[in-house]
Amino acid sequence: MFGVYPIPFRIDTEGISICVETEGALSTYRRISPDGTLKKKLGYRDGRVIIHPVEPVNLPKEVTGMLEFHFVPVNIRPDSLVTLYLKFPVEIGVFVGADENYSLLDVFSLAKAKYSLYGTPEKGVITRHVECEPFDYVPPSRLLEEGVLTLSIKNSGRDWVEVSRAVFEGSAMRLFYGSTVAMTGEMEIFSHQVAETRILDVLPENGMKQALRAYPTKKSLIPEKPSFLMEYGVGD
Amino acid sequence: MAFESLKGEIIGSVTLFDLIVFGIFVLVTVVIAKIVAIYMKKSLIDRVQQGEMEFLIKVIQGAIIVIGVYLALPSFDINLADMLVVGGTIGLVVAFASQRIVSNFGSGLFLIMERPIKPGDSINIGTVSGTVEEIRILSTIIKTHEGVYVRIPNEKVFTSDITNYVTNVARRFEYTIGIGYQSDAEKAIRIIKRLLEAHPFVLRHPAPSVFVDTLGDSSVDMRVFIWAPSRVWWSVRTEMLWAIKKALEDEEIEIPFPQRMVTFSSGTQKAVPGESWQEKE
Repeated sequence: MFGVYPIPFRIDTEGISICVETEGALSTYRRISPDGTLKKKLGYRDGRVIIHPVEPVNLPKEVTGMLEFHFVPVNIRPDSLVTLYLKFPVEIGVFVGADENYSLLDVFSLAKAKYSLYGTPEKGVITRHVECEPFDYVPPSRLLEEGVLTLSIKNSGRDWVEVSRAVFEGSAMRLFYGSTVAMTGEMEIFSHQVAETRILDVLPENGMKQALRAYPTKKSLIPEKPSFLMEYGVGD
Repeated sequence: MAFESLKGEIIGSVTLFDLIVFGIFVLVTVVIAKIVAIYMKKSLIDRVQQGEMEFLIKVIQGAIIVIGVYLALPSFDINLADMLVVGGTIGLVVAFASQRIVSNFGSGLFLIMERPIKPGDSINIGTVSGTVEEIRILSTIIKTHEGVYVRIPNEKVFTSDITNYVTNVARRFEYTIGIGYQSDAEKAIRIIKRLLEAHPFVLRHPAPSVFVDTLGDSSVDMRVFIWAPSRVWWSVRTEMLWAIKKALEDEEIEIPFPQRMVTFSSGTQKAVPGESWQEKE
C-alpha cells in the first residue's frame, strides 16, 4: 500500500479502501478503514498521492510528540550493550503535493491508541504509550499495523539496571518502509533514573525508503532536539 | 504665512514643523511594522507554532519602531546625549505622574518573564475564567468561555491568584456513580475499567482507579478517578460520563434515583387517608 499513486486511483487492502476519483475540474478523496471514513474534495484533477507510514503520535488528535515504549523489564550489566527489537503501532499518512512541498491529507491507523504520562504532571511529558514485548530478533510484523524499532541500549552506569521504559522525541523520528516499517534508536543509561534516547537517521535495512513526516505539523523556531533526556527513571 | 507659523519654535529649538515631521516618521514606521506583521503572519501561520510566531512578530515590530524613532530624531536637530539626560528627567516625571501605567508596564514585563500564563492557556484570574488571548505590555486579554472579551490590567493579573488549568501536562478529574444495592458492584467496576482502558486519552500512567467509596442512603457509591492530558481533559470528562452511564444500563446495572424504603411491621394497620390515629383508638 505504501507508495506513490497518480490521480485517479483506487486501492483496497486489509479492510482499507482509499480512492481519488475525478469529477470535472475537481476530484474526491475517500477513505474507508476500520477506525472510520473520510471524504475530502481536492481542487485539482491531476497530481499524485503519497501513502506512507508516519510517526504514531497523531491519533485520535495530536496531544504530544513523545513515544513511550513500556516493555517487560530487561536487566542490563554495567558497561554493556544490548540490542532489543520492539514493535510499535503504525499510523498511515496520506499526502498530496509535488517535489518537496507535501501536505498531509489524512492520517488513520489500524492500531488502537493509548496515551500515558512519563514523569510528574508538573514537569513530565504526555506520551503515546506502547506496551510491547522485547525481542532479541526482528519479530514478524503486520506491515500496515506495526513497525519494529531496533533499540541499542548501552548501560554507561556503574550499576546493574532494569530497563522497562524508553521514551523518544517524536520531532526527530525517522521512519523507513519496505517489507516492514522500521526505525532505529539508541538509549544510553547513566543510572536507574537517567538515560538519553534518540532516533537515528539511518537506514535499518538495504532497499528501504524513508517515509515522509507528519509530525510536527508546525515547525518550531527553536532547533529540534535530536535526543530526549529521561529523568524520571528507566524502570517501572 | 502658515508655513512661517510652522517654523516657530515651540519647545526650545524644536519647531512645530519638526514635530509634524517626527510624527509622520513614527506613523509611517508603525504602518510599516503593521504591514510586516501581517506579511509575517500570512507566511508563518502554517509553519511555526503560534506562541513563537507572535513573539517573533512582536520583537520585529518593536525593532522597526525603535529604528523609525531613531531615524526621526534628527528632525529635531538635537544632540542625542542631551536627549538622554532630558529623556531621563522626563521619564522620571512621567513615571511619577502615571504610576498605574508604569505599574501595569512593570507587571507586564514580569508576566512575560515569569510566564505563569501563556496565550492559549485556560485560566482563572479572580472572577474571570477563560482562555488567554494576548498578553500586552499594559494589559492581558481574556476570552471567557462564553466568548466575551475581557481586558485585565497587568497589575491586577500579577497580584491576583492565578489558576492555570493547563500548565501541568496532565490533570485528574473524578465521578461519583451510584448503583443500586441489588446490583453487582464488582461487575460495575469491571465494566467501567474496560471503558477506561479503551479510551485513548484516559492515561495508562497514572492509572485510573475505580472503587466502592460509600454505602449511601439510596445507592452504593463508586468513585472513579481519571487522569487525562490537560489539553483534552474536558472532552474526556464529558465523553466518559455518558459512556459509563450507557454501559451500566446496557448491563442492567441500576443507577437509582434517591429513594427511601419504608417497612411496616406485621401488626400495623394500613393507614386510611383522612382518618387520624386518635379516631382509630
